[in-house]
Amino acid sequence: MIEVNDVTKRYGETVAVDGLSFAVKPGIVTGFLGPNGAGKTTTMRMILGLDAPTSGAVTVNGRSYRHVPAPMGEVGALLDAKAANGGHTARQHLRWIARAGGLPERRIDAVLDLVGLTEVAGRRLGGFSLGMYQRLGIAAALLGDPQTLIFDEPVNGLDPEGIRWIRSFLQGLAEEGRTILLSSHLMSEMEATADHIIVIGRGRLIADASIEEFTRRSASSHVRVVSPQASSLAPMLLRAGAGVSDEDGALIVTGVEASFVGKVAAANRFELHELSSRRASLEAAFMELTGSSQQYQASAPAGAPHQILALNGMEN
Amino acid sequence: MTSATISTSKPHAANGPSSAPNFLATLGSEWVKLASLRSTHITLGLGFVLSVATTGLVALALGSTQEDWSPDFNPTTTSMVGQIFSLIVYSVFAAMVSSREYSGGMIRLTLAATPNRTRVFLAKLFLVGGVLAVLGLVTSTAMFLIGQAVLGAYGMPTATLADSDAQRMVFGLGLATAYFPLIGVALGFLLRSTAGAITSVLGLLWLPQIFGAVVPMWWRENILNLLPSNGVDSLTVAHIEDSPAFSEPAVGALIAAAWLFGTIGAAYIAFLRRDA
Repeated sequence: MIEVNDVTKRYGETVAVDGLSFAVKPGIVTGFLGPNGAGKTTTMRMILGLDAPTSGAVTVNGRSYRHVPAPMGEVGALLDAKAANGGHTARQHLRWIARAGGLPERRIDAVLDLVGLTEVAGRRLGGFSLGMYQRLGIAAALLGDPQTLIFDEPVNGLDPEGIRWIRSFLQGLAEEGRTILLSSHLMSEMEATADHIIVIGRGRLIADASIEEFTRRSASSHVRVVSPQASSLAPMLLRAGAGVSDEDGALIVTGVEASFVGKVAAANRFELHELSSRRASLEAAFMELTGSSQQYQASAPAGAPHQILALNGMEN
Repeated sequence: MTSATISTSKPHAANGPSSAPNFLATLGSEWVKLASLRSTHITLGLGFVLSVATTGLVALALGSTQEDWSPDFNPTTTSMVGQIFSLIVYSVFAAMVSSREYSGGMIRLTLAATPNRTRVFLAKLFLVGGVLAVLGLVTSTAMFLIGQAVLGAYGMPTATLADSDAQRMVFGLGLATAYFPLIGVALGFLLRSTAGAITSVLGLLWLPQIFGAVVPMWWRENILNLLPSNGVDSLTVAHIEDSPAFSEPAVGALIAAAWLFGTIGAAYIAFLRRDA
């Protein structure tokens, strides 16, 4: 299990990660979300002991990664797929990594086969496409057959076919019961693959919830009510703490469950023509939280989470 | 959480490392990384060929033009004339061994595979030091033999490896070939830039040659003599080529060691502390 415990990371004046705490639960796919520059990559680097936290601690299975005796057997990571020497062939690239991890030669053939690069194993990386680099990076992460995998933006810059391949490959890994931490700035990526999501913005934790819980909590999840007595119902709901707005003759009620609206209507003998729950899409919930949607930005109340966010933070 | 860990964890131990990788694993990994690059073979081969060819050509030129030679003509030092080329090429190569890791972000892959930074640092130093000490000996021996063969063919005085002075020079210069490359590896870690590391190591190597002739003697003796090249030279060639510019061997050894361990120490501390 990966545990991030009250971690802060400063680069000079810039605070990349700010008092962040979360745990990556074993055996499921956890999506790690946030706008570009939110601190995802910095956090992942700290998990791998590449960057040292300014304060706080990050542990992998209870130890700091730098003190894990055989790290490749515990954690596999893909941070930057293109970080490779173009003069190496795919096999040579995997060979130096396998050597470093004390892994047998047969693992190289196994992972090449797994990601479908056996045919081009003898080709130099200089001629590889981004999609091939991504496959190679995943192969390298799998060399030690680790239980935990960390992928930083694995689909970034890929063509649709490459995206589809990675998506189904990750799902396959997840079905084997591996722990996967998968970062992305695209919420739609997570809807299909992740069970749980951790959302950060400006280095701070915004949400740590199951996908289901996350969308339910979102303000864009709402109850739609159509009633001839809407003008009487609306003030009552407002007094109960709900948010109410009007849309084409229907009331859009946020912050309360449909059952609550139904109870209020029944107690007052209001006639209801429609009462329905609308669940926000993950994308909408994410946009709302991270404040990149103009529509929500204009009407959000002061102190809403998105106000501490900006999309133009440093790329780390 | 604990129950989740137990119920969902799948044992992968069969494919994992059989035991924790040790220093030899890191050394082997760095060896594979270097030895499987075509550019490594080309660069090192080029250094060797340039050195030997220069010595051969200089000996050829001397033999074909000199009718008689001064009594202090020294066939051993003459045959070592090509050494500067291998020194340059090998130093550039060594500076890139460490600095290149930073240009494409490969250092993060290296450190994710081997989080023990001391091990990575020492593996690169040992590898470069070992390979270039051996290659340096091969280069200096080849230069010596080719040089003597050409000089001998023109009837000029020659030396053999049985001479203790010649032995000392061939052996000393050969091993010393690894000296600047080791500083180059350290500078690569320190500066994390290929251009910066190459410029710095060549600067250290060449400053005395560049400025030696144009600055007053006081500067030569008190400033330039503190540079590593003087330290090395006073150990390897001073006993043959007497010059007031050279320090005493003990002082030279001290200067050379101070530069080597100074740069390596600084690079090591920086490498341990900095984010990768």
